[in-house]
Amino acid sequence: MTAARVVAAGLALLLAAACTAPAPPRSQARAQDRTVCAPPQGPPAAETATTVDVIEQAYFCILGNYHGGPALDARALLTSGFAALTQELNRAGRDLPEAVAPALTGDRAADWAAFEAAYRRITDRAPGLRDRLAVATLEAIVAALGDDHVRWVRAAKQPPDSYDGDGYGLGLVASAYGPQVDGDPGAALPPLFVTEVPGGAARKAGLRPGDLIESVNGSAPFIDGRATPAIAALYPRHPEARPVELRLLRQSTGRRWTVALRPGLYPRDPATLRVVRSELLDDVAYVRMTGFAPDSANRVLRAIARLRQGRTLAGVVLDLRGNGGGSPVESTRLLSAFAHGKVTAYQCTVDGACAASRTDDTVELVGLPLAVLADRGCASVCEQFSSAIKDWRAGTLVGTRTAGVVSGSAQAYLLSDNTLLNFPVRHHRGPNREVIDRIGVPPDHHVPPTPRDAAAGHDAALAKALTLLRT
Amino acid sequence: MRQILAAAAGLAVLAASACAAPPPPRAAVPPAAPAGPAVLPAPTGAHPAGTTVLHLTDTSRPDPWDPDAGARELKVTLWYPAQRRDGRRAAYMTAKESELFLKGSAIAGVPPDTLSRTRTNSVTDARPAGGRLPLVVLSPGFTKPVSSLTSLAEELASRGYVVAGIDHTHESYATTLADGRVAGCLACDGDTDPGFGTGVVQGRAADVSFVLDRLPKAWDGAGVIDRSRIAMVGQSMGGAAAVAAMLADSRVRAGIDLDGTTYARIPRSGLSRPFMFIGSARHTPGGEAAAWERDWRLLTGWKRWLVLSGAEHQSFTDLPMLAGALGIKPVRGVLAAARGAELTRTYVVAFLDRHLKQRRQPLLDRPSARHPEVRFCSPPRCS
Repeated sequence: MTAARVVAAGLALLLAAACTAPAPPRSQARAQDRTVCAPPQGPPAAETATTVDVIEQAYFCILGNYHGGPALDARALLTSGFAALTQELNRAGRDLPEAVAPALTGDRAADWAAFEAAYRRITDRAPGLRDRLAVATLEAIVAALGDDHVRWVRAAKQPPDSYDGDGYGLGLVASAYGPQVDGDPGAALPPLFVTEVPGGAARKAGLRPGDLIESVNGSAPFIDGRATPAIAALYPRHPEARPVELRLLRQSTGRRWTVALRPGLYPRDPATLRVVRSELLDDVAYVRMTGFAPDSANRVLRAIARLRQGRTLAGVVLDLRGNGGGSPVESTRLLSAFAHGKVTAYQCTVDGACAASRTDDTVELVGLPLAVLADRGCASVCEQFSSAIKDWRAGTLVGTRTAGVVSGSAQAYLLSDNTLLNFPVRHHRGPNREVIDRIGVPPDHHVPPTPRDAAAGHDAALAKALTLLRT
Repeated sequence: MRQILAAAAGLAVLAASACAAPPPPRAAVPPAAPAGPAVLPAPTGAHPAGTTVLHLTDTSRPDPWDPDAGARELKVTLWYPAQRRDGRRAAYMTAKESELFLKGSAIAGVPPDTLSRTRTNSVTDARPAGGRLPLVVLSPGFTKPVSSLTSLAEELASRGYVVAGIDHTHESYATTLADGRVAGCLACDGDTDPGFGTGVVQGRAADVSFVLDRLPKAWDGAGVIDRSRIAMVGQSMGGAAAVAAMLADSRVRAGIDLDGTTYARIPRSGLSRPFMFIGSARHTPGGEAAAWERDWRLLTGWKRWLVLSGAEHQSFTDLPMLAGALGIKPVRGVLAAARGAELTRTYVVAFLDRHLKQRRQPLLDRPSARHPEVRFCSPPRCS
């Protein structure tokens, strides 16, 4: 599995989840709805340029529909957007004397008008930077909400010569990946090492699982134990194509060397991309699930049913490492195969009113001991699943803490440049009403990955799970 | 991925995103009165069409979809020029296959065996006429049986081709195996997985090579086949499989893709054997399906890219002609079922006559006044 895939799958799945949430009540719509945003009615058309009108639409869309919208100080959004605008100007070497923030009063409409006037004054002086400035401004406004489930989604631009299942990037996955890089870099722990080499430049250069990554483009991945932004350079996205220089150490031989890996497309084995894979490990059914994709719960249950046919199993290992989430419907269905009559999660409004989601007790119980493998790549709906299994004591969690990226189920809104703005309409709480977002679900048995295990092809978390099921 | 039969009626089933409201199930739409069993159009060639079914087992590889099956079982339907026209007409599909196909395609409101009563034009197990005949491998769309291409297969047989239609087991809602078991669509489980199409066409290419290997021994009439003249034609996933099979097996000399988004990786050195794309509007250059443009640059031999105005994804199959029997009304503005079949037959035959029989085909050189629906494309535009 590659990071590119984790990211792509995760994003797609989050989107899928986004679309299952009910539309927010229209009563929340505000007077400024001349720039109203609505859920998309189909696949968005081709993207057009992001203009100041799109930024305006996004601003009022957030204020009118985001669950914390009514309580938001809109000035913070505009100030963040303006700060990003001036930074981007500076990056382009085009700072301007008139790039001064407008005075904001707290009146949302008047503040927008002031912001727009200042924005136009600046971009009119730098017409060649118009697109860049608009993107930086809107990204900063969205980021100012500080919510991991608020995303401005632009169509992933696939390279024109890509094939279904191709990966893009360096062709490696490292111990810090997925949400640790995109969402919360603070969660990553040293050392940084290669965990998988699915293809591409990394495979050509002979990298192997377990190789320590001592520097990325000359920068240390950790300083005083804290992750640095250098790690993100391991996962370039199209059209980023600048070579990435890695200094590597192979502990088994003591070899230390430097390679420059050029990002690019590389084919991957379709068999390794299946969302649900299963095999019999003696008396245990092992099922790996990389996302809560449509029908994935039934696929898991059918795999277990097939593996238990004609034999007595000691239990089930459900491997959710790297599972970026997906549809809450699938999570509820799968949970319902392990317990009945339970609350799976709560969905809460900003003023604390919570609605319970419950198991579907028409789903047949599996009735076998369960061990769940989780890690920092288990995010969103995957954490909803893991927290329920843990809270109910319906199974044992093995591995590391989950990502802590489960703010709440999201709704997608279409902007006029055919991009999507996704944000949660409710906050997620676990079955014990605990917050999982930004915290994650801790495992019952902490088994962190190590470079030594990676080099030896030893899956310590799986080994622990098998031991637990067999004793 | 799952193009349902509803599309046959002309409902444009686009690649629905996660956010698109799902199309209403057919059952929710009051069906028009079913119009009796469907009748496939008579083939236009000189020969009567014969047909027979072979069950072949490839013990060299496990089934790609059924982890409990150590071998790949395939059902192959042959169509060929027959000596005589009299005899029992072949069944279109069994009652059970009809039931499973309608269920899988979410079509209700008609008796489940409706499609098994479809009238075909070929005679079961007829004695083959003699000669040295080119061979055409047919591969259907995902979830579809190869019988969904019967109109095209019968036409080719009447025009002097042997046709080997492959039911790719577990990639169709219903395939009757040698022992009478009916295999369902195990592959449908993962049809949204990344790399799914790539995996399917790799498997189908292996199916094709195996059938080509085994056909001489498996069929008594195989003596008529000229093994130096083999082409492959497929619709949707079957068309994508034609590219994959040509790349994997040089015995396949030419190929046609009928409206299938392609998945097989053509090497940078290109594919130099003749190839033709025929598509609906969604396969217009600059359209949503960029795969053809990607591959077009890598086709270095004789090539054509045709787009049929008004066609939809199933216009190249029998399914629009079955719509009346299923109580599905044709949609205004979509190419009429009979015309879709006629154009498909005409241009596929022209291509095969050109490349397997070395006959000049002006029809393939430029747009034709008699076939105004057919546009000739060369990225970035069409005629």
